[in-house]
Amino acid sequence: MATVVTPFGMSWEFALPGALAGGALDAAANRACSSPMDNDAFAAFYERSARPLWAYLARVSSDPALAEDLMQESYVRFLCAANAPSLESDGEAAARLYLFRIATNLLRDHWRRPRATSIEEIPEEFFAARDSAEQSDSQIMLGPALRQMRPRERQLLWLAHAEGYSHREIAAVTGLAAASIRLLLFRARRKIAALLRAQAAPIGRES
Amino acid sequence: MLTPCAYEIEVRALVAHGQWPAGASSELRAHVATCRACGDLALVADAFQRARTATIAAARPGPAGVLWWRAQLRRRNVAVERLTRPILGAQIFALAFTLVVGVGFLVFEALRSDAWRTWLQQLPQSAVAHWDEFRATGAIDPSWGLLVVFPTIATLLLLGAVAVYMATDRQ
Repeated sequence: MATVVTPFGMSWEFALPGALAGGALDAAANRACSSPMDNDAFAAFYERSARPLWAYLARVSSDPALAEDLMQESYVRFLCAANAPSLESDGEAAARLYLFRIATNLLRDHWRRPRATSIEEIPEEFFAARDSAEQSDSQIMLGPALRQMRPRERQLLWLAHAEGYSHREIAAVTGLAAASIRLLLFRARRKIAALLRAQAAPIGRES
Repeated sequence: MLTPCAYEIEVRALVAHGQWPAGASSELRAHVATCRACGDLALVADAFQRARTATIAAARPGPAGVLWWRAQLRRRNVAVERLTRPILGAQIFALAFTLVVGVGFLVFEALRSDAWRTWLQQLPQSAVAHWDEFRATGAIDPSWGLLVVFPTIATLLLLGAVAVYMATDRQ
């Protein structure tokens, strides 16, 4: 807690009993859940991991605003989680994996909630509209193909091919059995490869 | 069907480092052209890597400090809730205890004095139950009089109000 100094040069924590000054609450808060890192360490971790996490959420959900909300909630839950991996003892890879797991659970909760529109109906136009000239090549190819994939397939493909996670890591993030990841990923890859080839064929014929 | 091709690791590494297909040997490129698994992998992984680069460039994450303080606030709220839970339990216990004692006292007084029973028996026969009638029967020891009845009713009303307030406050 930040120390506030009174006009008499005395801190509130000293002038007031601990419980009134919030000391007891802070102590209880620390006991309730110890944060996996301090403010500076978190800022550095956030700087390194926020963009990949947002990219994952935005691509899988096809909704940038939702991705922003879920990303923020993921970090808050990460900081509040009592059993979150520590950067010092567990390493950044473990912390990042845990963060992706929280985000994946939030996405799943979001999809389970009854809504007016289904996730399947949300278009990918946002990305096409934002793309610069050098990016548009991949977006024009991937966007429509990704739109035809199921959310679970998008998750698996993104984690495997964009984030480069192993099957075991994907299992940890998604909560699926490690043995089934290989088969699900194989099918999803074959499906999207066929879609990408089908999209590339007319372009090739035109050129 | 699911047996991975021996070249998949090499293809995956080249794509991940952005060296596909320029950094691949002619032998590997020839293999990928004929192997469906490697062809799919190269195509899909390359598309996803490009999409990742583009999407990360489009990301505009907010300041980390806001999230840090939001987390601190949430932790504090959780701690407050944990601290106040036993207090709430004690309050509910105290309320229940007071109500039981109050009701017990009234029942005891009613049983001790026959005036209550007389008044209750006369109640259906009277057209309207007046306070004066109640008082005239001497339901309570005259030495106590209204000094007991009013504070008891007031206490019960107060406790009831507190109970209602606490219930709505919790919601």
